[in-house]
Amino acid sequence: MKNNLKVERAIHDMTQADLAIRIGVSRQSINAMEKNKYVPSTVLALKIAKLFKKPVEDIFFLENDD
Amino acid sequence: MKTNYLLPNKYKTIGWILFILGLIGGIFMYASNYESDALSINVLSIFNNDSLFGSEKGFFKIIENSILDELIALSIIIGGLIVGFSKERIEDEFIYKLRKDSLVWAIIFNYIVLIFMILFIYNFTFFNVLVFNMFTPLLFFVFRFNFLKLKSNSHEE
Repeated sequence: MKNNLKVERAIHDMTQADLAIRIGVSRQSINAMEKNKYVPSTVLALKIAKLFKKPVEDIFFLENDD
Repeated sequence: MKTNYLLPNKYKTIGWILFILGLIGGIFMYASNYESDALSINVLSIFNNDSLFGSEKGFFKIIENSILDELIALSIIIGGLIVGFSKERIEDEFIYKLRKDSLVWAIIFNYIVLIFMILFIYNFTFFNVLVFNMFTPLLFFVFRFNFLKLKSNSHEE
């Protein structure tokens, strides 16, 4: 699964640490997600989507091999 | 992430102290060939089936024993468990996954090492393997977990 977390973060002018605090996770989680090393749970994905006020599908996308 | 088996974060420091003191004690114990008469007290032996060390065979005997090695072993195990299973400062699902992955890695790695030891270490030297193997699963787990945490911490932005 891919995501455009980094882009959304840039739009809202947030650092990884800012975003981590806002949704209550560690900065490592945000870092790992942006590097596509970690697929977040549905709860976390929904929280991020809610924060950026966008549908989940606009932030997270399936890849062909998913 | 809700987990019901993790201790609060504040126990982590005491865990590290116990763990490191235990490991240092263990290295000294190993270097002195487990021969120490320090802290000899009467203990309850639930079952004894060998006469190698001159104690009586049988169930539920009070015997005299140096409890230094017992204390060191307990210190490593309890310290290691606390370090491995207390919450991080910010505990979330990613940390939970790291912990779980480290556990799986540690078990597999430990038994691969043990397989080699069984194949290539013989006689009384194997006793040392058995002693180390009491602690290596925890040791590998704690090292792997902290290594993964450190690795995911680097490369900011």
